[in-house]
Amino acid sequence: MVQVTVDKDLEDLIPGFLTNRQRDIEKVEALLAKGDFDGIRIIGHSMKGSGGGYGFPFITEIGAGLERAAIARDADIIRNATSQLRHYLAQVEIVYR
Amino acid sequence: MGINDTSTPYRVLIVDDDSDMVALLSTWLKASGFSVITATSGDEALTRLGMSRPHCVLTDLYMEGMDGMTLLGRIHASNPLMPVIMLSGQAGIPEAMKAMHLGIAAFLTKPVEKETLLANVSRALRLSSDISEARPKFGAGIIYRSTAMAELLEKAELLADSDITVFISGQTGTGKEVLAKAIHEASPRRDKPFIGVNCGAIPEQLLESELFGHERGAFTGALTRHEGLLQAANGGTLFLDEIGDMPLGLQVKLLRVLQDFEVRPVGSTRSVPVNVRVISATHQDLADAVKRGEFREDLYYRLNVVPLHMPSLAERREDIPALLDYFLDRVAQKRNAKKKRFAPEALEYLLAAPWPGNVRQLMNVVELCTTLTKTDIIPLSMAKSALREEPAGIQTLKVAKDAFERNYLIGVLRITNGHVANAARIAGRNRTEFYKLLAQHHLNAAEFRKGGAAEGDEPESSDGDVAEDPADEQRDV
Repeated sequence: MVQVTVDKDLEDLIPGFLTNRQRDIEKVEALLAKGDFDGIRIIGHSMKGSGGGYGFPFITEIGAGLERAAIARDADIIRNATSQLRHYLAQVEIVYR
Repeated sequence: MGINDTSTPYRVLIVDDDSDMVALLSTWLKASGFSVITATSGDEALTRLGMSRPHCVLTDLYMEGMDGMTLLGRIHASNPLMPVIMLSGQAGIPEAMKAMHLGIAAFLTKPVEKETLLANVSRALRLSSDISEARPKFGAGIIYRSTAMAELLEKAELLADSDITVFISGQTGTGKEVLAKAIHEASPRRDKPFIGVNCGAIPEQLLESELFGHERGAFTGALTRHEGLLQAANGGTLFLDEIGDMPLGLQVKLLRVLQDFEVRPVGSTRSVPVNVRVISATHQDLADAVKRGEFREDLYYRLNVVPLHMPSLAERREDIPALLDYFLDRVAQKRNAKKKRFAPEALEYLLAAPWPGNVRQLMNVVELCTTLTKTDIIPLSMAKSALREEPAGIQTLKVAKDAFERNYLIGVLRITNGHVANAARIAGRNRTEFYKLLAQHHLNAAEFRKGGAAEGDEPESSDGDVAEDPADEQRDV
């Protein structure tokens, strides 16, 4: 279990934010199957920008990794990143403060 | 923060095509007391900007369609002083440099921290306008509903706090001086004099003396030293109305004052430092006057730092009902009489009228209609007749002559510090004739003597004397 402390003001937003990351995983996998690296880059970029603000620096790291891997067109790193994100989302436990 | 407790919250427009970012930034800002408007594209942001008139824009740099940099350019094309904060996930130095060069308030890197974001929004608002609760509403007496006026006043309010030189264009009767006064009253100079002078109403030699002052003996009749309006307005604001009528010789002198902030009175070898904010105005096309060689190009650029355009009444027709109502109310109060109103068809007629004389003409029409109508309701026939009789800004020869004579008398009284014998000598009249003229114009020479009201602390235009903006007698445009 990974425990993350999040700003209480954001409590209402967090379930939606995490659901969107689950969707991102599915989107990245679909884009990878089509070889659409630019689409993956955009998702990674967006994840990188928002993760830290919501209190999830790990999501920002994953996003940055996805963005870099998409630019390098490295499918293995992209698969690895989505796998790490899926695992993280399954484990994360939120404490609002 | 100091911002979140204002009674009227500051509106921030968030522009980002990432809904999670929009939700995050909105939550932070709302929790800190800001009002938030959101847009998910540059195009939507431009629409929201016109409708909601935010105080600050927070935009992503990279977006589908219009990017943040293009949006910044579009915003500043119509709102040059709107603070824009840019957010980017890729903090490339060239982009940041370019954005800073384009006048951005802050460039923040994603992921951004809450404190950093709020501090930058507060700073941007503080730099662009006074967020003090104590300050009265900008242009509180100005009557309007139109977007054109709202946008103008918003822009004017943003620059009131600074010492930026403002240039107001607009037709006769639109209320350019009213706007200049509103800017002065919202500025840190509000406790110092606001002095208006109509550059077109005073002969060249008098105007030179009026503005720059003169030494004793500087010219025939200059028996005493005269301070001049630039010195009288020290610490405050000098409103130069009809600047396009200023003679070329004086334009050079004024340019020197604006460059060096020093004034040299006529006949003096000594320059005196002055701290004056200059707001100028004209109904003329000054750029055209520059092309024709009638106005100095260097002075034009020195004055035209921030241009503001007063819309004509025809461009703000939605304000006509409110203006009519206001003037009807004012007339009733002034005469201690029951408030009259226009019949619906009269109102309809007035709404569609061309109004070449603008708010001044409208005010005169209300005066005329209320005077000549015996009943409580002003009929269409009266409205039509009043509009026909009110010749839209063109005065009769007698009215124009009277106005000139009064301005002239005020000018010589100022120059002579209210010394009637000297003033009469300059005017080429004997003292008895001069006294008669003063009486005709209800002028009292004593008020122009040292320590009198005319030496700097006089409300220069309140009695319709030196400043002659067509709408200067009213607080409402």
